Amino acid sequence: MKKGDRVLSIICMGLSLWLIIESLQFDYLSEFGPGPGFEPFWLGILLAILSIALFIDTVRRRSDKEGAKSCLPGWKALGRVGLIMLIMAGFALSLNTLGFFVTVFLFVSLILFTLEEVGILKSMFYGIMFSASVFLIFSYGMEINFPKGFFGI
Amino acid sequence: MDIFASLMQGFVTVLTPFNLWMATIGCFFGTIVGILPGLGPGATIAILLPLTFGMNATPAMIMMTSIYYGAKYGGSTTSILVNVPGEGASVVTCFDGYAMARQGRGGVALGISAIGSFVAGILGTIGLIFVCVPLAAFSLKFGPAEYFSLIVMGMLTIVFVGGKSVVKSLMSAVVGLALGTVGSDVVQGARRFVYDIPQLMDGVSFVTVVMGVFGIGEVLVSAEERMKMKTVDVKFKNLWPSMRDILDSKWAILRGTVVGFLVGALPGAGSTIASFISYGIEKGAAKDPERFGKGAIEGVAGPESANNSACSGAMVPLLALGIPGSGATAVMLGALMLYGLRPGPMLFTTSPDFVWALIASMFIGNIILLIMNLPMVPLFAMSLRLPYRYLYPAILLICIVGAFSLNGSVYDVWVMWIFGIVGYFMKKYDIPGGPLVIALVLGPMLEYNLYRALALSLGSVWTFFTRPISATLLAMAGIMIIAVSFKAIRSKRSMPEEEDE
Repeated sequence: MKKGDRVLSIICMGLSLWLIIESLQFDYLSEFGPGPGFEPFWLGILLAILSIALFIDTVRRRSDKEGAKSCLPGWKALGRVGLIMLIMAGFALSLNTLGFFVTVFLFVSLILFTLEEVGILKSMFYGIMFSASVFLIFSYGMEINFPKGFFGI
Repeated sequence: MDIFASLMQGFVTVLTPFNLWMATIGCFFGTIVGILPGLGPGATIAILLPLTFGMNATPAMIMMTSIYYGAKYGGSTTSILVNVPGEGASVVTCFDGYAMARQGRGGVALGISAIGSFVAGILGTIGLIFVCVPLAAFSLKFGPAEYFSLIVMGMLTIVFVGGKSVVKSLMSAVVGLALGTVGSDVVQGARRFVYDIPQLMDGVSFVTVVMGVFGIGEVLVSAEERMKMKTVDVKFKNLWPSMRDILDSKWAILRGTVVGFLVGALPGAGSTIASFISYGIEKGAAKDPERFGKGAIEGVAGPESANNSACSGAMVPLLALGIPGSGATAVMLGALMLYGLRPGPMLFTTSPDFVWALIASMFIGNIILLIMNLPMVPLFAMSLRLPYRYLYPAILLICIVGAFSLNGSVYDVWVMWIFGIVGYFMKKYDIPGGPLVIALVLGPMLEYNLYRALALSLGSVWTFFTRPISATLLAMAGIMIIAVSFKAIRSKRSMPEEEDE
C-alpha cells in the first residue's frame, strides 16, 4: 500500500497543479464575492496539501511488512479487468455503426468466450438471449430508442 | 400542519395501482441488488433514474426509496447463506448469521432479520415524521450563510466518519468538488474546464459518475477472479422464528432501531456504521457475550434492525435540510433536483403531496418487503446460484443502457467508462467513493450559497460568523477538525510503541 499511496499522491499533485493553472484563467474575485476562479484555485491548493501530506506519510511510514499485499492484483486479474474495459470501449465505439442490439450480442459473446471460457456456440446463444432481453425490456417495454446502425436493428 | 391528516393524504396518493406497482418494483429490485454482491443501491438508483424520466416525480421517487431500503432487507440473505455481505450494511450479519445457518438455523436467521428490519423500518419512519417536520420548520430560518455552513459541516462529517483514511476521504471530496466546478459557473457564467466539449457546459452528470464509480468499479473488482459462491440450503418451512427466538430478539430489535435511526441521521455515518455500533451494543449488553460470533440471534436482529432504521434516519437531513447523508441519498438528492424539486424546508411547503406520499410509501414498502422476504426468500436465494460469469455482463449491460438512455448519447457511456476505471482504482487504493459523489452533488450548492451570502452581506465574510446558526455550525465543524487532528496525532505517537511490542 505504501508504494500505491506514493503513486496516488504524485497523481493528485499533478491534478492539483492542473487545477491551479487552469483556474488562473478566470477572475479570482467578482463584485462582492468569489469569482469563477476562486473555488478551483483553492481546491487545487487543498489537493496539493493533501497530496504532500500523503507523500510525507508514506516516507515516514515504516516499510510494509513482509508478505504485505500490493493494492493492485496480479497481472492475470488486471488483464481480466483491462479486457473487460477494452470490450466496453469497443461497445461504445461500434454502437452507432453496428446498432445497439448487434453490439450487445457481440459484447456478451466476447466476454463469455474470451474471459469466462464458455464455448463459442454457448457464448453466442447467451449473446442472442441478452440482446433479445434488452430489446424486450428496454426498447419494447420502456420505449427507449436505441441506435439502429448498419444492419437496421 | 396537521401531521396525521397530511400522512393520510399521503396514503391516499400511494394507494393507487401505479404507485403501488412502483413500490413493489423498487422493493423487488432493492432486494435483488442487496442479495447480489457487486451492485449497491446507489448505483442501482442511478441506473434506473434515466428510465423514469417520462414519469411523475412521485412514483419515480417511491421506486428509488424502495430500492434504498429494500437493499438492506436483501443484503442479509447473502450474509447468512453464503457468508458474503451482499451489501455494505450486512457485513456484520455474516458474523452470527452464517454461524446460525451452519447450525441449521439459517431460516430462523433470515426470518428474524426480516422481522427486525420490518419493525425498525416502521418505527424509523414514524421517527422520521416526528423529527423531520419540526426540523424542516426550524430550517426555514436558514439563509445562504447557514446553508453554506451546513454543507461544510455535513461534508466534513462525511469525510471524517466515512472512510479509514481521513486524508484519502478528503482527497475524494476535493476531487468531487472540483468535478462540480465543470461547466458554467453561478457567478459570471464562465465556462470552466469545458474545452469546447458542448456536453460539459452543463457539468459532469452525477448519474454517470455514480454508475461508473459504484457500478462499473464494483463489478470490475468482483470480476477480477472467477467468483464462486457456495450457499447453505434453507427450507421454506424453517423460515419462521419461534416465539422464544422473537422474545430473545425483542430488545436487540428495539435498541437497533434507535441506534440505527440516530446514526443514520448523521451525514456520512450511514447504515454500515449503524450496524457495527448495534452489534457492539448487543455484545456489550449480553450476559454471555462469548455467544457472539457463534450464532447469537441478537447478533443478527440488532444490526439488521439498525441498518434499516438508518435508512429512515438518513432521509431526515435529505428531506428537511437538503443534505444527503450517504452516496445513495446523494443520488436521490440529485434525482429530486432533476425533477425540479429542491429538498429542504421549502419542499414541505411547496410539494407537501410529494413529501407525504414518499413518507407513506415507506410504510407500505416495509410491508411489501416483509411479505417478499419471508415466503420468497428461497426464490431470491436461488439467484445466488446463478454463476457470476453471467451476472456481471448483465450488470455492465444495464449500466450501459442506463447511461445511454440519459440523453440518448454515447458520450454518457464514455463518461461512465472513464469513471468506471477511476472507481476501480479508488477501490484498490482504499479511497472511498461516497465523499466524491456527495461533494459532486453539493459542490455547486456550496459555491452558490457562498456567493449569495457574500452578495447579501456586500462582501463581508463576517456574515458567516455573526449569524448565530451559521456560527454554531462552523464552530461544530471547527471542533470536529480539532478532535480528528488530535486523534490522528495521538495515534501516530502511539504507533511506534505498538510496533516495538
